[in-house]
Amino acid sequence: MAQIDTFTDSAAPEPVRRARQMTIVAQDPSVRVDERIVRAQVAVPVDRLEPGPRSHRLHIVDYDATAGRLGVRADLTNPADEGPLRGWSYRDRFALADDEVLEEDPAFHAQNVYAIVARTLAQFEFALGRRVEWEFGHQLFVVPHAFAEGNAHYSREDHGLFFGYLPRSDGTTVYTCLSHDIVCHETTHAILDGLRPRLLEPGLPDQLAFHEALGDIVAMLSVFSLPELLDATLGKPDKQGRIPAEMVEPDRLASSVLFGLAEQFGEATSGVRGSALRRSLTLAPGDAWRDDEAFEEPHRRGEVLVAAVLRALLSIWTGRIKDLIHHDALNRRRAAEEGAKAAQHLLTMMIRALDYAPAVELEFEDVIDAVIVSDEVLAPDDQHDYRGAVREAFAAYGIHQPRGRTIDLAENAQRFTYEHLNAAALRSSRDEIFRFVWQNLEALGLKSEWNIEIESLRPAVRVGPDGLIVSEIVADYVQVVDLTVGQARAITGLGVPADLTDDVPVQMWGGGTLLFDQFGRVKLHQRKPLDDWNRQSRRLHYLVRQGRFDTRGRLGFSMGARAGMSFADLHVPDEHAGEDW
Amino acid sequence: MEAAAAGPVPERVVVRMYQVGFGDCFLLSFHYRQALEDGRAERHLLVDFGSTHGPPKTRVSVVERAAALIAEHTSGSLDVIVVTHRHRDHLSGFGDPQAAAVIADLQPRLVVRPWTDEPELERDATAPTTGDSPARFARDLAAGQALAERVAALTEGARASSARGELGRLALDQLPNHEAIEFLDEAARESRGLYLSAGMASGIEELVPGIRVRVLGPPTLEQRPEVARQRANDPDEFWLAHRNALADLSPESLEMGVQSLPPATPGPVAWIVGRLARQQVGSLARGVRTVDDALNNTSLILLIDVGDKRLLLPGDAQIENWEWALKHAPDSQENRALLADVDLYKVGHHGSRNATPKSLFRLWGEEPDPDRPMTALMSTRPGVHGESVATAVPRETLVSALERRTILKRTDKLGGDQAFVAVAAETEGAAPFALVAPEP
Repeated sequence: MAQIDTFTDSAAPEPVRRARQMTIVAQDPSVRVDERIVRAQVAVPVDRLEPGPRSHRLHIVDYDATAGRLGVRADLTNPADEGPLRGWSYRDRFALADDEVLEEDPAFHAQNVYAIVARTLAQFEFALGRRVEWEFGHQLFVVPHAFAEGNAHYSREDHGLFFGYLPRSDGTTVYTCLSHDIVCHETTHAILDGLRPRLLEPGLPDQLAFHEALGDIVAMLSVFSLPELLDATLGKPDKQGRIPAEMVEPDRLASSVLFGLAEQFGEATSGVRGSALRRSLTLAPGDAWRDDEAFEEPHRRGEVLVAAVLRALLSIWTGRIKDLIHHDALNRRRAAEEGAKAAQHLLTMMIRALDYAPAVELEFEDVIDAVIVSDEVLAPDDQHDYRGAVREAFAAYGIHQPRGRTIDLAENAQRFTYEHLNAAALRSSRDEIFRFVWQNLEALGLKSEWNIEIESLRPAVRVGPDGLIVSEIVADYVQVVDLTVGQARAITGLGVPADLTDDVPVQMWGGGTLLFDQFGRVKLHQRKPLDDWNRQSRRLHYLVRQGRFDTRGRLGFSMGARAGMSFADLHVPDEHAGEDW
Repeated sequence: MEAAAAGPVPERVVVRMYQVGFGDCFLLSFHYRQALEDGRAERHLLVDFGSTHGPPKTRVSVVERAAALIAEHTSGSLDVIVVTHRHRDHLSGFGDPQAAAVIADLQPRLVVRPWTDEPELERDATAPTTGDSPARFARDLAAGQALAERVAALTEGARASSARGELGRLALDQLPNHEAIEFLDEAARESRGLYLSAGMASGIEELVPGIRVRVLGPPTLEQRPEVARQRANDPDEFWLAHRNALADLSPESLEMGVQSLPPATPGPVAWIVGRLARQQVGSLARGVRTVDDALNNTSLILLIDVGDKRLLLPGDAQIENWEWALKHAPDSQENRALLADVDLYKVGHHGSRNATPKSLFRLWGEEPDPDRPMTALMSTRPGVHGESVATAVPRETLVSALERRTILKRTDKLGGDQAFVAVAAETEGAAPFALVAPEP
């Protein structure tokens, strides 16, 4: 072979690193292989770090409200790197650390939450093709040892994620900030709240259920996308690293791998996540849940969506490993990698769907609709029939893609007026989007009798199936009307609960999402019309059943910033959903 | 209706609900056609006697007023005291020296409490919880009460309408009621004490002939280990560890925005530290609520048959206690059939959202039953518990459902000078309970 001369050009610029590898606890400190905590190295986007750590998106504050103690700010940068660039350096001092260090060193706890929150955020940004904003300011507070309680939650009002710890009588402590799934779940609440703040308003039961379900789905798929963990749950391989093919049959995978993970989810922390996941796995297909009052409770209802996604995951995963099976066996590591890839792909599909899901009045049908439509836009060919797998899995639980909820407007392009509009302004100005709506009210099927407000405007850039850049604009509008029960009763087709008195004020919502293509032409319209009286009736009945009146006795009104607090109480697992009034 | 044992059967039953504000105090009086062997033609059963917040604008001691009325209504002789569980709003009256003296003079002949109140169970909250499970559970509960004691101390003096004030009220309700418990222990020693669990004979029938009492709850730990768990999968000694974790917590650190703690320098860290005070209050409230739930779930659930009438007295039992009788007990099917036909329901837990399980209510259906109208008695006072409409006691959605299904009488709708409500029914026949006081 010819010798190639090598030389070093000391003047050549080093490529700027996009990500750093950080050590985290792969799932939970209770998950061990060979009596050692399973770790993972995950890619975290590079940022300038101050002690805390504090980046441009996150601020870890180690304050313990129960002990009244402010911990030392963790400095993750490299001490060898002195000077102004120190903030850009990083040294993973925990890659080789002992279990005791991982369990008890607050600096590692800070790194663990930082890495998982940042990684989760990066996954959302990657799938959505843009920066994702918090519902407040720029930096989300993350408090890894917030209080002595085996609980963790997101609070919009307090701009933060709070992780509790559970002291035990034997002197040891369980930290929720070390559970990958808990950190992911709470981070997802914060991200989703930034993307879809209206989901916390008083609405149909699917809305809050979706918040919980997405948290569990992201948590599960994130953990799943670490082959280190999957590998261990697939059973012992032979000398060649192979496992029997029967190990990867769908039912077997469900019971061994998924159930195995569920067992370990939040194992040490009252099984907060695990019990929900276990119930999802055993939830029989069908739509019996729709008539079961227990499934009006957000967590329980969310389990239906989680069950559907798990089903889709198994289907995609087994589809991917079919070809790896030879002589009734397959390589375990490869099987795990394919599982991780399937999880990653499904996660991206689920997140991407958010842009196509309505900003208000979300129902499970909208979720499947958004997943399918967004995937059709981005990957029209769908070689592996992922959409078929997802559609089928949702249908098994009685969740079908509705007809006509998302309208393809490209077919009726000539009906829209673009006169006086500026394509550049469309990308940045909500007024310009409103102008478009105003000019095209009729073509969009909207009425001006209810207030219309463009609530958000999000330019998105992604890589299309041909490898070229696709640049879109996503705009949400919201319609609101305030009326009294008496006025509502006068509307034909709107069923108002009989025991409401005529003077009760009611607020009703509608809205939609408009998607514009790279030329500023409207392409899709996802609609939740305000005058869908069937939906409004269901919402009113549900809110009355739940007694969701505000302190002024009004029904269905926006709760403003207070909405965020509802999470803390939700996270207490409820085995008896549906028994309370 | 099955035939009662041969012998005297009460011909009339009167149920009095005393106005105690937030609390429970009920007197069941059974009247016989002829005098029984002791010469009296009546028997009286006092079910709970406590109050944490008197009715608005009432200056008198409601427990003393109730005690005097009980003496009058029992003609000076009380047969049975039932204490459903050890929450203040169900037994504080026994800890009030004047009121307790009046009750003692009535010379109760039997004191009935749930198995968790057995005095022999050691209750040193700091001892390691080894040993058999009932003792262990009793110690755990005591540790929970100790946690509440600590939280009550931390919130002392907080403004009533603040989140800390709400937390303080909840914590105060959990406190051990030493005087009341001592009174009851003493009364039980002097007469007889029974500590019941689901399925046991109540012992009440021996003193009140012609009735049948079924004990539907609480289950024992052997029956339902779940009742000993504060939350699914929580570790043992949860409250003890929680209580210990609060050692360094100061009252000031629960005041939002008044941070004398580090960091003193204003900035984002100081801001979030200030916000965490509120988070801590929320966390403590969740902890104390687990104690509240556990104590509620030790409630006796009594189902009393007298002639053709059936009375349901569930204390403050929540679903974890109820589900034994409704779902898991070997005779749950029979229980459900019995529970479907109730003539008088003592509304569980002052009308809160979590103590009339929907699976119970479904047995009754939403619509009134013209053949067997049900009367419901609710002792409550709004504005004491619950920060929001959803958690308010009484819970509006439950109240509307009860108003629709039953003839609901509630203490919070009584006039200022009305000290009790009484309903009565003939035990034979289909005529429902009717209001006898205040004059309809």
